[in-house]
Amino acid sequence: MERDLENANPTILNVSQLPSRQRKGPVTRHGPDSKCDSIVFPQHPWPFGSSSSSDEGDDDGEDHVDAQDIYDLISTISDPEHPHTLGQLSVVRLPDIHLDPSPAVLPDPDALVTVLVELTPTINHCSLATVIGLAVRCRLEQTLPPNYRVDVRMKDGSHAQDDQVNKQLGDKERVAAALENDTLQRMVDKMLETCA
Amino acid sequence: MAQFKQWALEYVLSDDEPAQLEITKKAAKEIESSRASSTVVGNWAASVQQWMTPANADDDKMEDEDEGGSGDIIARAKALGFLAGTLEVLYKSVLRSDQVLRLIGFFGAMFSYDHKAGITASAKALRQLYAMKNFKPSMGIKILEDVCKIKEDFRLQIAVTRLEIYELFLSLIQDPAVSSELKHKYGSSCGFVVDLLQVCQNERDPRNLMVWFKILALLIKDYDPSAEVTKELFKVFSAYFPISLRSSATPIGITAEDLKEVVRGCFSAHQRVADHAFPFLIQKLDQGDAVTVAVKLDILKTIQACIEQYKNPQATVVPHVEKIWNSLKYEVRNGEVKETIDATLDVLRTIARKLDGTKTYKLDVSLLKSYVDLVSRDCRDDLANPTYTKQAGLLLMTVISANIRAYVLYNASFIDTIRQNLRQPKSPSHTRDLLLLLNSLLKTRMELFRDRQQAHSEDEESLKAESRTHLDTLFHDVYLPVWTDKIKEPVSEEKDVLKQVIQGLALLVSQQVLQPDGTPTLLCSGSVCSEICSLLTSTITKGLTLSPNDTSEDDTAVEDEAVLGLRTVVMNYAEGYRELASRIKAGIKSRDWAKPSQYSLDALKDLLSRFTFIGCSEVPSSITTDTQTQFSPLQHFITLTASLLEIFPLSPNSESIRADDGASANSHVISSLHASVIWFRDACEAKYGKSALTSNSPDNKDWVDEFKELPEDWLLQIQRDIAAPNAGLTPLKENGSEVYRQFLKLGLFVVRFLYRSASAGVRGPWDETALVQLSQMAALVVSSLDEKLQVSCNLAYQAFNFFRGTTGPLLETRSDLLGALLTLGILQGLRPGAMAGLYNPGGFAERFTSGTPTFNTSRESDIRAAIGAILANKFKPEASTPVQELEVLKRVLDFWGDWLKKETAAPSPADPAAFRAHSTTALSVIAGAAARQDPHVLTLIPVLHQAASTPTPNGEILAASLGLIVKQNPLLTPENHAIIRRFHKQWTYAHLAKPLLQPAQPGSPNNDPLTATRYRVAVLSIVANGPFTVYQDDLAPLIRLLVTALTQRAGLSDETAWAQTVAALEVLVEVLASEPDALTGHLRAVIGGATGVYQECAAQQGAVRTLCRRLALQVLGGIPGRFEERHVRAYAPPTQRILAVACGDSVRRVREVARATRGSWAKVGL
Repeated sequence: MERDLENANPTILNVSQLPSRQRKGPVTRHGPDSKCDSIVFPQHPWPFGSSSSSDEGDDDGEDHVDAQDIYDLISTISDPEHPHTLGQLSVVRLPDIHLDPSPAVLPDPDALVTVLVELTPTINHCSLATVIGLAVRCRLEQTLPPNYRVDVRMKDGSHAQDDQVNKQLGDKERVAAALENDTLQRMVDKMLETCA
Repeated sequence: MAQFKQWALEYVLSDDEPAQLEITKKAAKEIESSRASSTVVGNWAASVQQWMTPANADDDKMEDEDEGGSGDIIARAKALGFLAGTLEVLYKSVLRSDQVLRLIGFFGAMFSYDHKAGITASAKALRQLYAMKNFKPSMGIKILEDVCKIKEDFRLQIAVTRLEIYELFLSLIQDPAVSSELKHKYGSSCGFVVDLLQVCQNERDPRNLMVWFKILALLIKDYDPSAEVTKELFKVFSAYFPISLRSSATPIGITAEDLKEVVRGCFSAHQRVADHAFPFLIQKLDQGDAVTVAVKLDILKTIQACIEQYKNPQATVVPHVEKIWNSLKYEVRNGEVKETIDATLDVLRTIARKLDGTKTYKLDVSLLKSYVDLVSRDCRDDLANPTYTKQAGLLLMTVISANIRAYVLYNASFIDTIRQNLRQPKSPSHTRDLLLLLNSLLKTRMELFRDRQQAHSEDEESLKAESRTHLDTLFHDVYLPVWTDKIKEPVSEEKDVLKQVIQGLALLVSQQVLQPDGTPTLLCSGSVCSEICSLLTSTITKGLTLSPNDTSEDDTAVEDEAVLGLRTVVMNYAEGYRELASRIKAGIKSRDWAKPSQYSLDALKDLLSRFTFIGCSEVPSSITTDTQTQFSPLQHFITLTASLLEIFPLSPNSESIRADDGASANSHVISSLHASVIWFRDACEAKYGKSALTSNSPDNKDWVDEFKELPEDWLLQIQRDIAAPNAGLTPLKENGSEVYRQFLKLGLFVVRFLYRSASAGVRGPWDETALVQLSQMAALVVSSLDEKLQVSCNLAYQAFNFFRGTTGPLLETRSDLLGALLTLGILQGLRPGAMAGLYNPGGFAERFTSGTPTFNTSRESDIRAAIGAILANKFKPEASTPVQELEVLKRVLDFWGDWLKKETAAPSPADPAAFRAHSTTALSVIAGAAARQDPHVLTLIPVLHQAASTPTPNGEILAASLGLIVKQNPLLTPENHAIIRRFHKQWTYAHLAKPLLQPAQPGSPNNDPLTATRYRVAVLSIVANGPFTVYQDDLAPLIRLLVTALTQRAGLSDETAWAQTVAALEVLVEVLASEPDALTGHLRAVIGGATGVYQECAAQQGAVRTLCRRLALQVLGGIPGRFEERHVRAYAPPTQRILAVACGDSVRRVREVARATRGSWAKVGL
């Protein structure tokens, strides 16, 4: 599709600069001398018996849904006009994702949780803001459990017509109607292709 | 006559090629049988007379006539084809020369008169006539002249006919006799060439062009044409340049590349076209943007081919060099396409090589000088301009490093220019580029030096006389100032500069020079090498002295480069490694390792790991600065092991006893020793090849016995004086297998030393991690020895004696973890042949594998089980093995059979943990024997089945752990010399699990429900531990068991019940991946079962429940993509609801699987 880009030069973050869950323990060094590290400095120092295989569930501890999880779900959505993800373009930012109440403190796992995602378009007159919001909404509805209510909005002041956009995104009927539109549906599908 | 006429008629009337061939054969036979009498040949030739007559009629008139005319042409062509065909099959020496001449005259005339019908057949006939024995060179001239008479009508012929004529020309022109006749007749005016060019100049068919260009190249090369003719020839082929080929739907077997190649052959055929070729090609190149990359490459390659092929470069190449240079330099200076830059540099390099002369004949030095001066003049200033530094340097480097003469003449001034620019760099990247150039010059110098034998003898002399001062001062003048400037707090660009400095230093140390007597030695003096070494060493040792706050960043690029640099340095400057070792030793010793912080431990680990890599990842070369010092390929390995043994133990009492507590300082030392063996072994393989590692030892000495005579600090002693006669090492030459053997000997010495230290009685520095590493290092060293050495060193005995030389084996008295680990290490590496002595009645194997000692920890039972598996496996009876020994393992297996029967029968077990530990040993022993398909295992099967179904808690434990028998055991591998029969898992499955498949089914008539349940647990345990191929034939009954296992947990303890569920889910995942069709009829049960498992586990915590949830979701996720939608659609809504809930699971990994599964189910029913 040949058309002029609305924002031809957005600021792009490196993938390594994006917020991510820090791995436990120190980072392993990969120098030229690290070839036999797995043998002489093994992860599991006791190689015998049944105990060696039972450690595999290192990450199996309780870990409730948090803002980083939501960020990981939506930051990989592609931008409709740039070959970058919403995370790289800072349309989605970790501090702008709010869970209320936090699932970690909920006594009942089925209690209602509201997820509020505030988007920051790269320019304040971005006409694609609604499409981006729609994609974020779709992605979250497809991947979160039914007790999560999704609320996608433009961050205050980030968009010239944020009221209208928010109204559109908040209206279930309008969202459903938008997804009936084949062109829009294809566009959203295309944007979600890059999500793992 | 009549006969030939008849045949000719038959031929003309026939359309069938084989039939025509038969006819020509008959005619040829007739001629041969008459010995080519004039009458017969005349008759044969006259047989086509009836078709020939109209040939003399006016062609134009014929053309305009009715169809009958074209019919005549076809018949005439066929009639001539009859003659040509006969010549083709005719014996080549039959025709006399006058007959050949007459026939040439006849067919040659066709080119004048019969352009429509005669050409194809005549060309064919002429080629046959040329091949006749009585063909005379003068006839060749006649053919050429006759054929050329066709003139413009040539291009009206079809391509195949033209090809026939080109082939005819080519054969004639490359025939030496014809060629000399032609030269004699026409001289340099080459009149026939002009005719030829007129005939052929409009050719466009690629196949024909291939031959035509060959003809042109031959004419230029061999016929010495006059200047005018040469020019004409050049015009003809240059008109095709640059040649391309339209892609065609029907491939013809010729590529554009072939055509380019053959046109290039015309350009480079002879230097006589030089004056036309170079200006022409340069003009093509200078067309600017109109030239595509492919064309540019073609031009550059053609120029290169011309320079390479033309002789007498003074006259042919030199006059054009300046033009070529002026045109080409911009390709590199401003070029962006890598291919064209490379091709341009190739041309420039070729010029430099051409102007130097050949290996046997050197040209006058002034030619090369003026060329390099030309290049230098243009490039020198660019070096000061950061935008062009790289390109200018590349150009200069290319011409200077093209050959030794240019290098010797110009390297000093080149280095000087770089040095001057480095004093006032414009930016860090400018410095980096300049250093990069300097480094590549040093690298090229190494290559020229290495290949000096292939060069002219003068070159070697000039290398000897080469001035060295500019190289000597490089370190202090260039590298050191840059290093000191940037090392303080380097940011990213400066780090790149530092990396270049390090690479440069490594290259500098590797430089060799020739001494007056011709022997090579290192360029740098010992003191410079030592200084470089200490500079790099300080980079890698500084981590130890810093505190965690000093190093905030994880980027270790400079350190890693320093490690690689140091490795190169010490490979050449061997003394450097000893200096490095003493600095590292001093650095480590100066710290207190009693209670080190995690940061210090990591720093120690990094330092030791790098120390090991530097010394052992390559076998050092034999160049040294000091010829007095003896050299050994093993010296770095010795220095490393001696140093590590010297600092061990770092703390007298290890701070972390259990392996899970994290590695200790002491264990890092042992790990590094282990790593050194791995590295050096790989280095030997890389340098000497695999054969050096596998060659058997020539003698069978008892090394262990020799070690007894040696002092404890033997390694330190030989490190000090590698060549001492009493060193215990035979003098080493660069003999791969000998070096490897000596390395193993040293390795065994280290193992012995450490085993003695570990078994000395005091636990002290030996924590679990250190012991595991020692055990694995011993396994590696021992497994690398061949069987003869393992036997002669009596290692089977040492496995229980730990090299202590006492009379009684030590392990008898100590069944603790330490001793067991040491034993395991050696047994793991032994070959079956070397273990024969252990299987005496009442010997080690029997005592060790049958018995139920009390274990203090589960670790002890793990090791006991491992040793049991090895001992039960590596028994290789031979014909001479006494019967009593054959009975030993049978007794061991029977012992465990009886024990299992007795223990499972006990209604209320005393200690389930003890039963679990001992049954693990029992099953490991059985697994070891089953791996070599010991038939005695079969006698135990009924016992195992019986014991597993016994309604006691122990029976249940046994049923759930039967899978151990087929589980992959890392100790039972070919690398560890275990005896592994190829289909042992199938064998075990067929006897142990298959008979249980029916009785395990729910509601099996012959069994009570408990027995069926136990059998199910046993089968699932075995199947989950074996590969899919083992049970793929029994999928139908197995899937019923799997489905049952998902829903039924009655009669089982909680632990076994869930272990069974996990096993069932794992097998389902495997079946889904390998043969999903088998599940088609069971989808409702599988989906229902997996969903049920998820829901049941969702409310509960614990690792097993989490695993169940994850696997259940994985099974669900595998279903939609693998079955037709009609099978799955009905289950979609409920499954999607559950999956939506699962996306909120409390464990992240489960959530990830749930999302993927939800995604795959979302596509169902769309």
